[in-house]
Amino acid sequence: MNQTIVQFLKRYDFSFLGSMSAIFLVGVLNLYSSTHADTHGGLDLLYKSQIGWFILSATVAIAISFINPKTFERFAYFGYIGTLFLVLLVLLMGKVGMGAQRWLVVGPIRMQPSEFMKLGLVLALARYFTKVYPERQLGFKDLIIPGLIMGIPTVMVVIQPDLGTGLLLLFIFSMMIFYKRLKWKTIVSLGMIGLVSGVLMYNFGLREYQKKRIHTFIDPYEDAKGSGYNAIQSEIAIGSGRLFGKGFKNSSQASLSYLPENHTDFVFAIFNEEHGFFGSVFLIILYLVFFMRLIWLASSVQRFFDSVLIIGIMSIFFWHSFINMAMVSGLLPIVGIPLPLMSYGGSSMLTFGVGVGIATSISNSRNFFN
Amino acid sequence: MFGEEELVKIHKERATLISYIITAAFGLVLARLWYLQVYKGETLHNYSIQNRLRKEVVWAPRGLIYSRDDQLLVDNIPRFDAILTPQFLLDKEETLAKLAKILQTDVASIEAIIKKNSNQARYRPFIIKKNISFGELAQIETQNADLPGISVDTFISREYRDKEIGAHLLGYISEISQVQLPKLRERDKTEYRLGDFIGQFGIEEQLDKYLRGENGHEFVEVDARGRRKRYINTDNLFKGIEDEKPLSGMNVKLTIDRDMQIAAYKALEGKVGGVIAVDIDSGEVLTMVSRPSFDPSQFSRGLTPEYWRSLVGNKEHPLRDRNIQEHFSPGSTFKAFSAIAAFEQGEIDEHTEIHCNGTFRLGRKVYHCWKKGGHGPVNLIKAIRESCNVYFQKTANRMDIDDISKYAKAFGLGSRTGISLPREVSGLIPTKEWKKKRYGQEWQAGETLSIAIGQSYVLASTIQMAISYAAIANGGKIYRPFVVKDIYDSEGELVKTFTPELLSEVQMKNPKTLKFVREGLFQVVNNPKGTAFYRRGQGILMAGKTGTSQVKSASADKIYQRCENMDYESRHHGLFVGFAPYDNPKIAAAVIVEHGCHGSSAATPVAEAVITQYMKKYQPEIYLKNLDKDKEIKDSWIRSLRASQPAEPSDE
Repeated sequence: MNQTIVQFLKRYDFSFLGSMSAIFLVGVLNLYSSTHADTHGGLDLLYKSQIGWFILSATVAIAISFINPKTFERFAYFGYIGTLFLVLLVLLMGKVGMGAQRWLVVGPIRMQPSEFMKLGLVLALARYFTKVYPERQLGFKDLIIPGLIMGIPTVMVVIQPDLGTGLLLLFIFSMMIFYKRLKWKTIVSLGMIGLVSGVLMYNFGLREYQKKRIHTFIDPYEDAKGSGYNAIQSEIAIGSGRLFGKGFKNSSQASLSYLPENHTDFVFAIFNEEHGFFGSVFLIILYLVFFMRLIWLASSVQRFFDSVLIIGIMSIFFWHSFINMAMVSGLLPIVGIPLPLMSYGGSSMLTFGVGVGIATSISNSRNFFN
Repeated sequence: MFGEEELVKIHKERATLISYIITAAFGLVLARLWYLQVYKGETLHNYSIQNRLRKEVVWAPRGLIYSRDDQLLVDNIPRFDAILTPQFLLDKEETLAKLAKILQTDVASIEAIIKKNSNQARYRPFIIKKNISFGELAQIETQNADLPGISVDTFISREYRDKEIGAHLLGYISEISQVQLPKLRERDKTEYRLGDFIGQFGIEEQLDKYLRGENGHEFVEVDARGRRKRYINTDNLFKGIEDEKPLSGMNVKLTIDRDMQIAAYKALEGKVGGVIAVDIDSGEVLTMVSRPSFDPSQFSRGLTPEYWRSLVGNKEHPLRDRNIQEHFSPGSTFKAFSAIAAFEQGEIDEHTEIHCNGTFRLGRKVYHCWKKGGHGPVNLIKAIRESCNVYFQKTANRMDIDDISKYAKAFGLGSRTGISLPREVSGLIPTKEWKKKRYGQEWQAGETLSIAIGQSYVLASTIQMAISYAAIANGGKIYRPFVVKDIYDSEGELVKTFTPELLSEVQMKNPKTLKFVREGLFQVVNNPKGTAFYRRGQGILMAGKTGTSQVKSASADKIYQRCENMDYESRHHGLFVGFAPYDNPKIAAAVIVEHGCHGSSAATPVAEAVITQYMKKYQPEIYLKNLDKDKEIKDSWIRSLRASQPAEPSDE
């Protein structure tokens, strides 16, 4: 009996759960540090609900890790349709409520279905690429149906309006078709078309006020002047951390309330201020280890569906992390995209848990059934 | 065909490429961080330590409120608070000693305030002294360098020029509380913040979205001690940051007349109650005053606990509005509608005579007239004039309650008038169906008798009574009462104007009905036997009806007990509703005086004062003419009554 448990533990892949826990630990300490002073606004207890969300997400991850990966393939389209339905529901309810709506409220729980939509998209694409000429290199024509699979939810979240998530779906899609051996010729052509039409649109197609509107459209909740201010405060926070940072709980930018949303979109800035360049190197290595481990898994599984699925899951988290870090440090304009496991937020964490569960399940199936 | 494993294998190249892309992407982020943290690290570090850019809210000036005669009722006045930020407080003892000297207080009391606020974050400023004088302001500003951590907060205080007069109408503004915040955000779909001011009562609440304006912001550079240094405009780092000017709130012109408000307030001196007056041909509310009252300015400055206790602890509830947020038994003022119903239904005409011997027996119950011994033979005009209960009870006994209710409702009673002010009560006009629903019981015949004289279930507010009597005066037109005439933007451009809204018109079957009811109401005030004759005033030719609303139903032996001898809480409410001038009605007014005992002595003088003020100011020619008419009427009564005994300044 004991032997079996030892055997089981030896074969069970803890690397993803371990990675998740390590990043979460850094994240929750950082969250506590950046919000502990906010007794007035009631944010100082956020870290507690973040811990609650982590426990839930880790439990979900472990539960999913025991599911046979073939099940994911069987229910791939179902998952896609299901999440699509939720997004549609939010859209309809938002229209009824006469305003933008991203949340679905079920009793005491507020969900952001567009978070789960990313997983739905990845599942559906993985299934499609596995079934239809899996060996073929993708050309223009082969992109029509996958393009529709991606396009429908993208249009729906964009009219929510949530352009940030819409762009994310596009990026995730791009990385997946790249993995599915999109022809270099097509990549170059697509790149050229995108570049030229973008430049043409911007220079001739748009009037001055429309150009301005694009900036605000990226995130309608942030006015242009406001976001310019946030970006500068964010840079001051990061830069003032220098090599070693100001130390735990010592972020003056956060404590002075200069940085808005310092518990969601700007956590990375606070982390940089308190732990400096070396702290960030450490944190980025944690993320990189997680992503590399996923890519390695994707190239060493026996089933092609599993491989594409893992790449898809990896892209979700990669794009989130990269865009958030780039935006906070001033490389990209400010869009409201959270940093996985670091930013406060339940839906995002739960998505991460599901991803980790799927990866673990796929990894275990190699070890257990070999 | 490829096997599954071959498929994975042929994609390995792309997987490797993806891992390069990811590494490069994070490499880019790290390079950027290196640039910010190492290359520009010193500069940015200095910014965060020494120079702080603070985004400060620039409050939008709230719109002003004017009366119909263009007098400023509500104004904004700058006030100053001395504030302290613990984080920047260096040389605590020395600073506090200096501060105590300026503010003419002692260090211990300042320490006490600091201690009270010690549980909040050290960077949050708090108020040391509210509303400091210009002298104190000047001293703090000039000694700025010696007072680290101390600064002055300017804010715009909302000042209500006539203080307690009309406070319930104008309302007040106060800070949004933690409890209100989520509710208000949901209600208005606006991102309010804690500490934002919002109208919480009256006009301030109702017109908040017009009055509020939009706050702007400015960027201020503050030094490490939190003191303002200079405005940002030169530094490259702060390029692209712009201030935003606030958008002033809109100014509002009311239908209310300030002089009438003052007259009403004075007339209610020493009384607990309310008066409301409306323009008969439009529904414009001219006066709306309730006493006891409160000073709304106190709310915008942040209530002191003492003031709050004095309001909440007051048994007479100064925060309660007696005109639209409370309803009462209308007592005999309701008889006008009993009369209209009976006349229209053909139960009575102007000649119908009913004998009143002081009591009316129905089954085992005896109903008393207020006049011991009775009024003798009574016709409609006498019944109204002398407020004979038996006349109305005997008439009502032959009628269906729903027929009486029908007419009362047609005149606007029993439902909200729709005045554009928050929390209006609906009053109550009972019907058989209502009783069945409410109590699950059948209507009792005796109950009709109580309703006919305005007691028991029937409830009405002064605004409802004023509007319904206005309809009696204008031939049945029910207007929606309104208090706002025009809204102007801060440039003076007219944004919105409110016009009279005719809600319905009562169709009278019998053209004589209103004529005789009006004649009765006229005699109430202008006939020596009328219940309000001794309070009739001069030059206003008022018509109206007094009323007494029983607070507790009196047992038979106490029915004729003098009201003034009862304990205060048990005394009747006194009411008066009327309109003027009788022959060319312009204004209707309704008055309630809680525990005032008599409508005539307590309530009528209030209406008289308000109406007199109105006539003098708005109808001076008619007023002068009516002074003569008044004299004629008086002389003729004196002549004809010289021999006979005048009525007592009576009850009812």
